[in-house]
Amino acid sequence: MNVAVVGGSGYVGGELLRILLGHPDVTIAQVTSETMVGKLVSKSHPNLRKATKLTFESRASLKPADVTFLAMPHTESAALVPELLASGGTVIDLSADFRLKDPRAYATYYGTERTDTALLAESVFGLPELHREELRRARLVAVPGCIATAAILALRPLAAAGLLGAAPTVVDSKSGSSASGRDAGPAGLHAERSGVMRAYAPAGHRHTAEIEQETGAKIALSCHGVEAVRGVLATVHAFPSRPLEEKELWQLYRRAYGEEPFVRLVHEGDGIHREPEPKILAGTNYCDLGFASDPHAGRTVLIAALDNLGKGAAGNAVQCLNVRAGRPETTGLGFLGLHPI
Amino acid sequence: MTECPECAASVDGGEKIVGEIFPCPDCGTELEVLKTAPFAVEPAPREAEDWGE
Repeated sequence: MNVAVVGGSGYVGGELLRILLGHPDVTIAQVTSETMVGKLVSKSHPNLRKATKLTFESRASLKPADVTFLAMPHTESAALVPELLASGGTVIDLSADFRLKDPRAYATYYGTERTDTALLAESVFGLPELHREELRRARLVAVPGCIATAAILALRPLAAAGLLGAAPTVVDSKSGSSASGRDAGPAGLHAERSGVMRAYAPAGHRHTAEIEQETGAKIALSCHGVEAVRGVLATVHAFPSRPLEEKELWQLYRRAYGEEPFVRLVHEGDGIHREPEPKILAGTNYCDLGFASDPHAGRTVLIAALDNLGKGAAGNAVQCLNVRAGRPETTGLGFLGLHPI
Repeated sequence: MTECPECAASVDGGEKIVGEIFPCPDCGTELEVLKTAPFAVEPAPREAEDWGE
């Protein structure tokens, strides 16, 4: 497969290139960046030195490819997608531009009016655990956001089983600094970020819309930045319609994810790694899920951990590629992570 | 064969003996063999951990 990566100089683009360079069925034909034209890809991503001699090209020189990955800022993908689809290839978009089916949600959460409703309807939400069959035929894949991926994978089995009560479900997420991208501005300065524990979006975060779309639940999302480069830890506080014991949660989540290659259930009674934590998932495509029953508060606690650049973006995009191309889903995604790290 | 009392996964008795402690292959809970015929287990005693907090 010939692939192109548009917007390859950012963190998501770099992670995508790292994974694709190790993918046995992929040839990277082009990588674009409007700010790095003519420079070696390794200038932006030093971990890729000697792995590739590719240089960044301008988007204007983009040629048709079997698959084009878009790692561009939100709103920029929407302008490019029709032309790419017309060339006959598959588009895997890592921006938010095609994640939401309801155009009104874009006005609410992104401040943009969308008239391309046919493409919004056609796009497939890129989470293989939920949409595998649709992905096999998709022309346009919308890879979900990192926090949304964690929250959706955590909550979906409970929601799909009709076990959520009337109260909103609270999602409390903690993210590493790379989640805000390479051009994060002053909030990303070391002096500001080091040691941080910051509630940067106590309410109204954009990923709320994705989580609600894919779970059907009413979501109350609060997002925090913490002292880490990679990683998302989402703690989901659900209030089920009836008490749920942990054995029942095991059975429910095992049915949902027992055969999934990249979702692992983690809830151990002893040791120091009892629940999911993102640190050991850096560079992997895993989402680890844990849970606990809290009968005192009538609450079920769900815990999801992932690498925001891995299962939360580039790794998941390659998993979607594998599904779309009929390859084994784990192709190119075998990295097991590091410990200690 | 029996069921893990913590996560309800199937647990194989194999050649295990009474008193043997082994991990559930699914949830990792340390299980102690109570009987071999029929095979029965219970969670082994474990230390609490609060990370000193």
